[in-house]
Amino acid sequence: MATVTKQARKKIWAFLALGTFVGLLLLPLFLSLPAGAGDTPAPAASPDAKPVEKSRDVWYKTEGPVVGAPAPKTTDSPKDYPRYNFESRVILWVALQQHLYYGSFVLAVPIFCMIVEYLGVITKALSRKYDQLAYDFVKISLTAYSITALLGGIVIFTFLTLYPTFFGYLSSIFRPVMATYALLFIAESGTLYIYYYAWDRMKEGFLKWIHVAMSVILNVIGTVLMMLANSWIAFMQSPAGVDADGRYLGNVWHVIHTTLWNPINVHRLLGNMAFGGGVVAAYAAYRFLTAKSDEERAHYDWMGYVAMFIGICFLIPLPFAGYWLMREVYAYRQQMGITLMGGLLAWLFIIQAVMIGALFLTANYYLWQGMDRMPGAERFQKYIKYMVFVLIMCFIVWLTPHTMVMTPAELKAMGGQQHPVLGNYGVMSAKNGAINTIITTTVLSFIIYQRANKIPTVKWAPYGNAFLFGLFTMAYVNIIWLAIYGYYIPANVRVGLSVPQVASTLSCLFIGVILNSIMLKGAKDVGPIVWGQISVRGQYALIMLATSFTWMMGLMGYIRSSVRLFWHVNEIMRDNSPWAFTHTIGFGANMISFNVLFFWLTILFVFWLGALASKKAPATAPVGQKVPVPAGSH
Amino acid sequence: MAEKGSQVSTRMKIAIAVISLILATGYFTFLDWGAMKIQGLDYFYMFRK
Repeated sequence: MATVTKQARKKIWAFLALGTFVGLLLLPLFLSLPAGAGDTPAPAASPDAKPVEKSRDVWYKTEGPVVGAPAPKTTDSPKDYPRYNFESRVILWVALQQHLYYGSFVLAVPIFCMIVEYLGVITKALSRKYDQLAYDFVKISLTAYSITALLGGIVIFTFLTLYPTFFGYLSSIFRPVMATYALLFIAESGTLYIYYYAWDRMKEGFLKWIHVAMSVILNVIGTVLMMLANSWIAFMQSPAGVDADGRYLGNVWHVIHTTLWNPINVHRLLGNMAFGGGVVAAYAAYRFLTAKSDEERAHYDWMGYVAMFIGICFLIPLPFAGYWLMREVYAYRQQMGITLMGGLLAWLFIIQAVMIGALFLTANYYLWQGMDRMPGAERFQKYIKYMVFVLIMCFIVWLTPHTMVMTPAELKAMGGQQHPVLGNYGVMSAKNGAINTIITTTVLSFIIYQRANKIPTVKWAPYGNAFLFGLFTMAYVNIIWLAIYGYYIPANVRVGLSVPQVASTLSCLFIGVILNSIMLKGAKDVGPIVWGQISVRGQYALIMLATSFTWMMGLMGYIRSSVRLFWHVNEIMRDNSPWAFTHTIGFGANMISFNVLFFWLTILFVFWLGALASKKAPATAPVGQKVPVPAGSH
Repeated sequence: MAEKGSQVSTRMKIAIAVISLILATGYFTFLDWGAMKIQGLDYFYMFRK
């Protein structure tokens, strides 16, 4: 009876806690509603009251009452830009980038945690292993969360001390948003700590469901926090809710919901997930490399695989979100799009291409290394060299620049800006063909990985295999045909060829992987996956994958930010500091590398702390025993 | 170690593979044409001009 009472008490406390979280979650939204409505009737004017001045929104073109001061016109003086014998922008760059890295990580990991904990609840047989994995995930993010908060404080102090006038203007517009942000941050912290520390107490029955629900709330708060922070940068790039002088027109929703806000939200969420997957995979690789026993190695090998798998799942839709963002940038200001893709910043996109190519090569390499732990995989080893050849050839085409930076003598010797032979590979027709071939080959690698230790036993297996053969062969032919076809038709038609090329790749991804998974249902095992029996090179590949994500994130953030050129807020508030110029590519790349290095050094400290605090032994799988894998694999 | 599918003769396997290739060719041609049409573009531009 005493147990029942204890259980009931637990339930009541769990409900109360959940209710509090929901209340905290809704409170800021409720508080911001009157400010956001914008249509609140004005109080009756007294006879001697001044008439309300109205002005037009620069983006929405609606009229609204002027309630804010104009954007300050700054001058190159210590008043607007205090300085410490160092480029202020660079200090802010480092502070913001570090905050973003940690912020992305602590937003992504709870999402993984939620997915894995849910899997643990619904798959009873593997419940303990998934639960342990989810716990491992959240444990890493806890220390990182404190560092994120610390870095957030540093960012605010840096803004206040180095860019006081600009920060004053921005906070005068976003006052209600910043207040909401602060409240949500408190709610997030509280939820995270309760979620983590109540793990053992809420591990059974109904309480476990409450615990899972808490992870949903945690992620809703985290996502809203991210979206609010995104509204500031989106406003700086494509302002709305203010008039041409930068005067706030009283509608906070217009200020938040600028034209680039949603594309940035989607792009960042997917990017954070891919990045988070990479960092967790790197953590698992680090633990694998420092493991003392086979059991530990088996656990962290599996953890690295799951994290990498989740990361890649979010990486695949990322280019489409990027495409949407770029399309909206072009729609907002065509010149901005040209500066990005065809002008001042275009060479940074070549660097991005190199990173993307390296990322796919590494992902393939990891899968091939992973086949070492699967008996029967030797049947497929002979195909790997052909895939390496295809990937390398496409990689070379993918990173060929359209034009080169040359001296007049070099230009004369080559006979123009484009190389007579290699120049043909520097155009989008060739590049689209190359990247789609790379992705299709990655899908093929994954399908081979899926069936490495299996033999399909379904009756229709020969037909299924023949269909897969036909699908992939013709997909390759079609992608390459469209790439060649692009050279023979005008630009306005050629631009449309990228859509069928992507559709061919996606056909292989969805039809191929689904058909293969169905074929492998009830398949004969050649032998169990021997987790932990992967080469250390595979683990270094995971670290490389994570580093590529980190570098690319820094690069793309830099590109997006520098496209504003000499504006704090595009076309509204000019940057008159001595640093309102675009850095050279070399300087930018060095800064990004410094940020990446700094992040990885500090995150290694976080990993080390995580290892110190691991009181619970990992849910180990004896070597040679099957451990769970994400749906759709093996 | 041998797959169940290996009961199918080699000649049959080749026939199935050829049929698959033909089906896939049809599918991708339709995909190309449809994807271009959605964008208001003519997939057979080069052949018509």
